[in-house]
Amino acid sequence: MERILTSGKIAPSTLQRSSFLRNSQLPLHLSLWVYVIIVLFPLLWLLLSSFKTNREITVNTWALPTTFNFDNYKAAWESAHIGQYAFNSLIVTMAACFLTIVLSAATAFALSRMKYKALSKKVYGFILLGLLVPPGALFIPLYRLVTDLHLYDTHQALILVYCTYALPITIFILHAFMQSVPSELEEAGIMDGLSAAGLFARVIVPVSMPALVTVFILAFIGNWNEYILSQLLVTTESLRTLPTGMATFNDGYRTNFASLSAAVIISIIPVLLVYMFLQRQIIDGMTAGSVKG
Amino acid sequence: MYKALRNPYTYLAFIVPTLALYCLFFIYPVVVSFIYGFYQWDGISEKLFIGIDNFKRLAHDEVFLKSLGNNFYFMAFSLIVNIPLVFLIAIMVSKARRMRGFYKSAVFVPVVISTATVAILFGVLYNYESGMINQVLRAIGGESWAKEWLSDPHLAMLSILIANAWQNIGFFIVLCLAAILNIPKEIGEAAKIDGVNAWSETWRITLPLVRPVLFVMLLLTVSGTLKVLDIVQIMTNGGPFQSTEVMSTYALKVGFRSLELGYGSAIGVAMFILILIMTGILQRVSKSEEVQY
Repeated sequence: MERILTSGKIAPSTLQRSSFLRNSQLPLHLSLWVYVIIVLFPLLWLLLSSFKTNREITVNTWALPTTFNFDNYKAAWESAHIGQYAFNSLIVTMAACFLTIVLSAATAFALSRMKYKALSKKVYGFILLGLLVPPGALFIPLYRLVTDLHLYDTHQALILVYCTYALPITIFILHAFMQSVPSELEEAGIMDGLSAAGLFARVIVPVSMPALVTVFILAFIGNWNEYILSQLLVTTESLRTLPTGMATFNDGYRTNFASLSAAVIISIIPVLLVYMFLQRQIIDGMTAGSVKG
Repeated sequence: MYKALRNPYTYLAFIVPTLALYCLFFIYPVVVSFIYGFYQWDGISEKLFIGIDNFKRLAHDEVFLKSLGNNFYFMAFSLIVNIPLVFLIAIMVSKARRMRGFYKSAVFVPVVISTATVAILFGVLYNYESGMINQVLRAIGGESWAKEWLSDPHLAMLSILIANAWQNIGFFIVLCLAAILNIPKEIGEAAKIDGVNAWSETWRITLPLVRPVLFVMLLLTVSGTLKVLDIVQIMTNGGPFQSTEVMSTYALKVGFRSLELGYGSAIGVAMFILILIMTGILQRVSKSEEVQY
């Protein structure tokens, strides 16, 4: 580009127009800012509301809160058990993510690197079928199955089901990644006398770390936000996860916007913090695989 | 050399636990769903085999047809409004020479927030008295502009669609942006040298080159809008007067509230088949359209 520009082969009118377009990025940035404000404003408005009293919200919505009182947060945390729900969510989410990673990494390794090609191909196809099934079509038999297994109303039920539902996409991503691991690494390991399990633990898992972190984040966000299954499979108040707890709170407090706003803000903070720290990884992870095809 | 990778016991140990969970919580419910669909059953008394009567009943069930229509309304809105908007914003962000990272992170924020929270947030924003939306409308147009967003049967579905768009399009924007930035720079530069303006560059160069990602977005939108559940359930639960009922909310109501497990499963099966057919058609259409840079 530089070379062509300096060699003067371009018609002057083209040059002028393109440099004009480049220097006037103001309208572009203004429009993008309008969009960003539309996206972020509701959250900001909610944040301000969470410091107000209900009366203040109704009478002067736009004013800043007169005093920054944390009563709403106290109410949300204590009487609405937001803290308890968040703790439950954390247990269920972490356990399910851990199980998903262990199982899918082992399976992806066996399917992509071990020498049972024909069988592996069939098993892989069978697991990918799971990507096509709408979970909504399975609720009735799933509910009965969980009840029959005496897992109804337990965290174990959620952990096992979340783990299973995350398996197809996780194996899909890890399988693709592990297939691209050069075979020289493997050969070196075999020379050192490693078994298949040793190769997995000492060679494949360490080199697959970026992919493992990505699928962990994907599973974390999915499980942390899951609502329908947790509402269906858990009834005991003290076992509820955050989204279900929030929804119950919503039904009970439809007119108490101040507390509701505080509860929403509390529920958003952890995931926003995770997002801010891991932005790049999350965005790349979420878009990986779909862009190239 | 590769004997280490040919150990049948290791192979089985690595894939059997995954397959066991997958079959138990995924494949078994799918199979059972299909079987239940042929029975009349309240979950307590004896199952009664009624052949395809459940499926015949679907064709005459006004509520089901209405919910099917709502799913298609959801799909049409997402295809006609969201996707062009996504493409436009992604193009704009890709043109920005500064702050691209900021825009990318900001538009993605709603994606990490749980649907339950988004539903509650918009419930607060849409409130007739103190909600932000009506406050804005009152400020610019007076009292008559304020609307009962979620309890007016004509507006409820639209209100859900807007909340859904707010939450989801950030993901698509980032996806589309990744594809646009993936286009080799030389192509854009060559176009500029040929004197192509920004408008036709977008139409004639960028759009065709990101077609694989547009196709992924199409696929995700079609299957996503056919199985949509949680945002509808929390915001309106299908009301008012079934104006926002979708297939999944109806299946849950039939299966769990009216205890018609057979009929509820039949709705699930219908959803499953519909998604399979629609994605199958899309895949076939796209097959001939591989892109070469």
